[in-house]
Amino acid sequence: MQKIFNFKNVIILLLVIHFSIFLIYPIYKAFAGSLHDWNPLIGQYDFVGFENFKHVLTNNLFWSAIRNTFIFVFFSVLFRIGVGLGLAVMLHSKLAKFKGFFRAIFYMPTVTPLVAVSFVWVWLYDPQFGLINKFFGLDINWLRDSSWALPAIIMMTVWKDFGYAMVMFLGGLMALPEDVFEAANIDGANRWQCFWYMTWPLLKPTTLFVVITSLITYLQAYVQILIMTEGGPGTSTYVISYLIFEEAFVRYNFGLASAMAVILFVMIAVLTAALFKISGEGEMPL
Amino acid sequence: MKKCFSKLFFLTIICVFLVACSSTSGEAGKRDELLDKGLDVMGQNVLFDPNKLVNEGEPITIEYWTWNDGDPAIEMAKAYEEIYPNVTIEIVINPWEDFWIKLPLALQGSDGPAIFNVHNSQNEILEPYLAPYDIAIEDLQADFNFVDSHIQEGHVYYMDSLINTGNIYYNKDLWEEAGLTEADIPKTWDQFTEVAKTLTQRDGDRLTQAGFNFNGTYDAIYQGLNYQKGILLFKDEGTVVNFDNETTLENTQFLLDLYEVEGVGDKDFGSDANQSFGNGQSAMVYNWGWYFNELQTNYPDINFGVFPTPTPTEETPLAYDRYNGESTPGINENQSDAQQAIAQDFLRFCLANDEYSRKGALALASFPTKRSLAEDPDILAHPVLAEIAPRVERLIWPGAFPATVETTAIQTFEDILFNGKDISQALIDGQSKMESEMRNTNFRSVESSFQFIDEASH
Repeated sequence: MQKIFNFKNVIILLLVIHFSIFLIYPIYKAFAGSLHDWNPLIGQYDFVGFENFKHVLTNNLFWSAIRNTFIFVFFSVLFRIGVGLGLAVMLHSKLAKFKGFFRAIFYMPTVTPLVAVSFVWVWLYDPQFGLINKFFGLDINWLRDSSWALPAIIMMTVWKDFGYAMVMFLGGLMALPEDVFEAANIDGANRWQCFWYMTWPLLKPTTLFVVITSLITYLQAYVQILIMTEGGPGTSTYVISYLIFEEAFVRYNFGLASAMAVILFVMIAVLTAALFKISGEGEMPL
Repeated sequence: MKKCFSKLFFLTIICVFLVACSSTSGEAGKRDELLDKGLDVMGQNVLFDPNKLVNEGEPITIEYWTWNDGDPAIEMAKAYEEIYPNVTIEIVINPWEDFWIKLPLALQGSDGPAIFNVHNSQNEILEPYLAPYDIAIEDLQADFNFVDSHIQEGHVYYMDSLINTGNIYYNKDLWEEAGLTEADIPKTWDQFTEVAKTLTQRDGDRLTQAGFNFNGTYDAIYQGLNYQKGILLFKDEGTVVNFDNETTLENTQFLLDLYEVEGVGDKDFGSDANQSFGNGQSAMVYNWGWYFNELQTNYPDINFGVFPTPTPTEETPLAYDRYNGESTPGINENQSDAQQAIAQDFLRFCLANDEYSRKGALALASFPTKRSLAEDPDILAHPVLAEIAPRVERLIWPGAFPATVETTAIQTFEDILFNGKDISQALIDGQSKMESEMRNTNFRSVESSFQFIDEASH
């Protein structure tokens, strides 16, 4: 009996309780709620079967939000990795100076709250007094022009998040075996060949990790949409998570919101599994 | 030693959980034995007699929840506690977003606040938990305007304490620079367009000063414009939104023409008309009373004035605009009888006392519904309230309609303005979306209780 109450078991028990309350139960509740007409604020919880899914899947706004979500995720992940990898390679180079300083500078946006960053970028994008138009001599209503609004949000998101990818890639680069590169140099490989045939393949586990974590983050992104465009102009920047937020916390249709969340859950699971399959990795690298 | 530490740690955690989950409420306070407080009875028809004991003089604590630290009920609570030293009214302030999640959840149990601030936009989620006012409806009607639209099956659960509506805010300095005087204040929309053109400035093709800017405020304007032409916001006995109609089309085209034909503003001239006006870049904007305080707080250098929203002709319209109200408090029907009794008494104290309405009116730049304040010098000295006062009777309230009526209207106008969507098609799509989103609500408009409803176009 005494052995049960040792330090290790107590900690594990607390973690199990924590995950049960804050992870497993909410997931179960979302699945169950998706089958109900559910408004917790007035205690409504009526079983409706698959009605919520039917309503969601026949809603044009849902499909346009899905399309926007994929565009947002694809370009955000692509540029986050591109910029992060590029800067990591530069900072890892023997020619680079003040590495610690630049690492800190580049990582700073990542630790800044997204809400604050979003507000600042709303001002930067302002067509009347925004610095972006002034600095580049442009005349674009970034957040109110439907062809620019989503790219503008993607640009802000990439700026905010590339530091994370940079640090991950920098860690990956530091862990690469130096003797392999020395051997390649002796064999006459140039820098591009070294990068393309050695560095990039050796960074595959890190890349996969960054892609999957970015994918999960961006499929759930809504804060920047809420602050910068509220889904507008019209409905041109609605993404799935913003739609879920609006359905749950503006209209209090938790049943519909749960049905959308279940669909999002399935999408993330399928995409993650597909990525593992395509990359041929058995397990998530850490 | 290690085992001892583990047990101690485990016990500490259990204690922390128990302390965290325990209730902190207790009845600490004084007893009150003074029946005669030596105070006069307050009020005109809703009366409050302070010369009594409440809760039989025993100490009692109730909670009042609000989202607004300028809520006049907070000062009234202090005054009430002075009269009844055995009563403690704990003020709990939560920001707006948190408030509307926490309050309905707290009201489901038996230990929610006894009394709380109400906003009519949240009517649907509050309705199941509201106790009726323990005040005769005739007394409420005698003391307050607009009570009728809040009577449900012979009961009032909350009503308007203040009302507000739209006005035109104008920059006096820009007005003067353009050679305009007080005599040029427009009464009709045609006159308004001419004034706006005079106030517009360009550097070549580039707009440098908007005569009128409505970026971000379309949803509020179109409702008023429709009412001015006798068109109600809801049809089919108030159950179906009336968005896609000839008048909305005409008014939307009018607003679009102000930018695209008359050139008094531009969709790309800032995304927020209020900010643009505050920065002195727009000469006129349409906004409600709250904007008065916003300007004074955030843009103290702007020298501005207020005039009534113009009308299509100089004839009196069906209604000048929609109004919306700040509500009187709600009482939690799930609380104990003792708590509810104190809440009802405190409510009566607020409603009988003119200070409650006066303080709220001046703090929120909203017109009091209390009849005794209709000609109050403090109220009429306020620039916004002075403009609302002559129009109060001709303001209409459709009821606490679902948010989609406004959010979809904004999306519709953005689709027209920014995405180049055809107006007719945008209105059809907007109507369809509003109807779809209102499908599961039991909303019914109270426009029919408007005293001039017979003048509406059907």
